[in-house]
Amino acid sequence: MHEELVQIINGAVPEAKAQLNSAEIGDSSITVDSSAIYKVCETLKNNDKFNFNVLQVISGTDFLPEGEEGYLELAYILASFTKNHEVIIKTKLSRGSDDNLPKIDSLCKLWSAANWLERETYDMIGVDFVGHPDLRRILTSSNWEGHPLRRDYVVQEIFNGMVVNPPEKMNLEDQQFGVKTNADSLSNKNPMGI
Amino acid sequence: MTFDLSEEEKIESPQGSEENIKSEILTVNMGPQHPATHGVLRVEIKTDSEIVTEAISHIGYLHRCFEKHAENIDYRGVIPFVDRMDYVAAMNMEHGYVMAVEKLLGTEVPRRAEYIRVLVAELQRIASHLMFFGTYSIDLGAFTPFLYAFQEREFILRIFEELSGARLLYNYIWIGGVWNDITDGQLKRLSGFCDKMEREIDKYHNLVGLNKIFVERTARVGVMDEDLCYDYGLTGPILRGSGVKWDLRKDRPYSIYSEFDFDIPVGTGEHGVLGDCWDRYWVRMREMLESIKIIRQVLEGIEAGPVMGKVSKIIKPPKSEIYLRTECPRGELGYYLIADGGKVPYRVKVKSSCFTHVSVLSAVAPGLMIADLVATIGSIDIVLGEVDR
Repeated sequence: MHEELVQIINGAVPEAKAQLNSAEIGDSSITVDSSAIYKVCETLKNNDKFNFNVLQVISGTDFLPEGEEGYLELAYILASFTKNHEVIIKTKLSRGSDDNLPKIDSLCKLWSAANWLERETYDMIGVDFVGHPDLRRILTSSNWEGHPLRRDYVVQEIFNGMVVNPPEKMNLEDQQFGVKTNADSLSNKNPMGI
Repeated sequence: MTFDLSEEEKIESPQGSEENIKSEILTVNMGPQHPATHGVLRVEIKTDSEIVTEAISHIGYLHRCFEKHAENIDYRGVIPFVDRMDYVAAMNMEHGYVMAVEKLLGTEVPRRAEYIRVLVAELQRIASHLMFFGTYSIDLGAFTPFLYAFQEREFILRIFEELSGARLLYNYIWIGGVWNDITDGQLKRLSGFCDKMEREIDKYHNLVGLNKIFVERTARVGVMDEDLCYDYGLTGPILRGSGVKWDLRKDRPYSIYSEFDFDIPVGTGEHGVLGDCWDRYWVRMREMLESIKIIRQVLEGIEAGPVMGKVSKIIKPPKSEIYLRTECPRGELGYYLIADGGKVPYRVKVKSSCFTHVSVLSAVAPGLMIADLVATIGSIDIVLGEVDR
């Protein structure tokens, strides 16, 4: 199925440069160029044979190997409820910076579901969806700083005049039940092999 | 108190009505601590007298960033966290996650463990739908059905407590199998429960579902048609309530669901329009009957054997990724898992059905009465733990 989808995408949207990542374990996926994501999804949605009519997930992952620049990977998971298919479309973005978030086209015109999914991705991973009608934070507070699912995320220290994670209230291991040795001995005899 | 008719007529008369009666859009906050929103959901409603013109949902009050936690704990340690998403259907949450990890590991799960998993998942579905039935009745102003529903739900929770030691958050389904075996005595009690439950559901439906007030409150209210469902990605009982015969247990079978014989109930619009609140209620009630059918087949087919497969002490799936969805009581739950070959998952993304279901409110709400909006939110049946994660 995936080879055929790659052909369909490359036939309709040549600038997408779709590539197949076939996997022996788990799921295969298709990588496309980030500039063509709207057209790719439009093609897949309107394709008669596959008819991917539901946008299930927009997921962002931050890949940040040590010493390298790293990149963001967005995964759009589409499903067809009429023909019973499902596909993972991936695209890579640069990580950008706090005041210059990476940009990608919004899919709100294709699916209303994209509205909240993109807001979540913006909130958690920090991607600017161009053309989104109402790009606000959704899970965190509107004046929260940073994007929690980035690998280099550091929790802000002061929020609305309150100290975030004050040390005396943190459930640190050695403060748990006030017994330091207890926690140490527990981790030695860890039955789960963690 | 006397009621002066002539006064009322004066107001309705065309003379002076535009000067005396002013229409104004009023903003009302429903929630976050409101019994009708089933948790900490805030809906900002703009109303023109009783009619809702706009509804904006604000979520995130229960946000714990489970996905960030999952990046820092090992694969087994994630299971208690997924429990806490949909805390009234924790078994179904665990089932999906554990299957995703097992697929990456290539673990064989013993037959008996698979049977027990299906058993607890279906029992949980009944318990969750009973919760819906009870709270939905309260939303619509009937208190008694809640007590009926919780009586039966209590039996299921007792069984779960005996199996796992906990009533709500179980950590029962483990990678490779289940934590604890089920006894013959428990299976026997479950078989008695099935017979009783069938009669009970019939009773509930006569008591509530066919009640004239209930029908008036729910029929033709909050209609969601098929196209709206696809547009917003609605799944589960909402999609089926709109007349679409789609159930992952049948259409993309996972676990051992392909071996069982059951039907997919869909909405028919018999009391109003296809896809209204009554249809969603009726789909859930019939789903409980189908779950009982599956449980009966499990009780017949379950064989003796081990309940835990061979799993290495340290779980390290190879570099891979998987997207696996399962049919939970509230809709489709998907886990998008990225493994980098280490001891902890690189990324766990949860596709939460409740999250997408809340987003549809702003599309359905305009034009509804405030009381009907409450009925619609109740019929969507959301759990805010899963919305906010």
